[in-house]
Amino acid sequence: MSFITAPLTIAGVAAVLAALIAVVDRIVNNYGECEIDINKGTKKLTVKGGEPLLGLLSAEGIFLPSACGGRGSCGACKCQVTTDVGPHLPTETPYLTDGEIADSIHLSCQVKVKTDLSINIPEELFNVKQFDAKVLSIRDLTYDIKEVVFDLGDEDITFKAGMYVQIVVPPYAKVKGTTQRAYSMSSRPLDNHKVEVLIRLVPGGIATTYVHEQLKEGDSMQLVGPFGDFRRSETNATMVCVAGGSGMAPFKSIIHEMIDNNITDRELWYFFGARSLRDMFYMEEMRALEKEHPWFHFVPALSEPQEEDNWTGDVGLITDVLDRYIKDKIGVDTDMEGYLCGSPGMINACNNVMTANSIPLEKIYYDKFA
Amino acid sequence: MKMTPNMRKAQENMAPGVITADGFLGDDKRPLQDMIVESEELLRHEGIDIDTVVQTLKDLMEEGRNGLGEPITVDGKWIVQTTEARGHLPCPFEDGIYRKITTVVRNIEKEESIMYSTISLHLLQKHHFLEGKGSPFRLEPVQLKKVLELD
Repeated sequence: MSFITAPLTIAGVAAVLAALIAVVDRIVNNYGECEIDINKGTKKLTVKGGEPLLGLLSAEGIFLPSACGGRGSCGACKCQVTTDVGPHLPTETPYLTDGEIADSIHLSCQVKVKTDLSINIPEELFNVKQFDAKVLSIRDLTYDIKEVVFDLGDEDITFKAGMYVQIVVPPYAKVKGTTQRAYSMSSRPLDNHKVEVLIRLVPGGIATTYVHEQLKEGDSMQLVGPFGDFRRSETNATMVCVAGGSGMAPFKSIIHEMIDNNITDRELWYFFGARSLRDMFYMEEMRALEKEHPWFHFVPALSEPQEEDNWTGDVGLITDVLDRYIKDKIGVDTDMEGYLCGSPGMINACNNVMTANSIPLEKIYYDKFA
Repeated sequence: MKMTPNMRKAQENMAPGVITADGFLGDDKRPLQDMIVESEELLRHEGIDIDTVVQTLKDLMEEGRNGLGEPITVDGKWIVQTTEARGHLPCPFEDGIYRKITTVVRNIEKEESIMYSTISLHLLQKHHFLEGKGSPFRLEPVQLKKVLELD
């Protein structure tokens, strides 16, 4: 019998230890109900502790921007936590500046709520909603850019042109969890039952692959928004806008917003760069708008036009074209503001051209893919 | 070959849908350690020095950035497109985060291309991993030599 006594004793001890760990875990990790005070009492939430702040807020209808759905890889869900929650985690610091760390800014997806918390968020986030949308149409604009229009049904979205929404991509193929990604809206703010976005295929991208290969007209999809502070200023300065590819989105929205609001006393120059004609889109629509509205000037440019393109428009990198136009047509003495949408590289290159042509850095606004 | 817990975790992170849609392993089901040993052997066999090739790929990525998101011809030999998407991606080995920068290099004359990202370059330089066979971002040594004209 002794051969069975030893294994049984070990099994018994292991079972007791496991039970003990389970009991201790329930006691130690039971944070009970916690109160989250938002913006000094503007809103107070009572939540069950033990979960990340980002998820607890969204469960209560407060949506912070998040392009990764809480995986700690986008750095978008920042908020100020005025209660002491201990030092910043190594998973947060790569996304925060020294100033933000000093100001107690945290990534809300990395803050586990264990006690009552006080936080500060931008007021406009109270306007953010989650929408159960339906795909109304999908259109190929180029070989790698699709225009997707969502119908919000009875819901409406209030936004300023230039803002963005997050689409919630469900699990598909080998992708297990949901994923959120941010896209600038290209739709007219007046048309508030619809949201239009332009999505360029990113090789290996979870969300863009889903949209390009799986999403169909009639499908349901959740959207969260609006977010962002990229928008037209309320001055009369000449707007100098630059984009390429899906960076078209916020400018299409801004131009239509100006038309809808009958803003006719402000010049807008829109520089749109592509390599060849196959990368160019919305040409006819932009040309038609230009013809109808004398304040709007559309300057498409190809950096490497192909022979078969028969291109007669401007040629060169969009930064070179921009430089030429500011000097020769707009005039360096004109009161100008810069508006940019694109990658950090494109933004930096345009910043250099604009500041060299008398546009102060503080008058250059951008929607940076960062 | 026996794998360390870190290596096992890295292989889990490389599965499709964890960090990227397609993951990093392609169709290869072998332990990650075996794939890395094979990567090193393949590179040696083709006479490719890792640091040199990574530097060439980084240079082309930078040249591609001059296209401001659109494709650009480099040295009359390659069409290079470097694109940047919002956000970052963590390395599957959990030793850093990288901007989502992707470069496609097409050799005009040979009509062959390679695609890589900032993470691909880190995986190759630091971990000697070319990505699994069938992965869209795999840097196949023979293909590397052909596209970059390393002979």
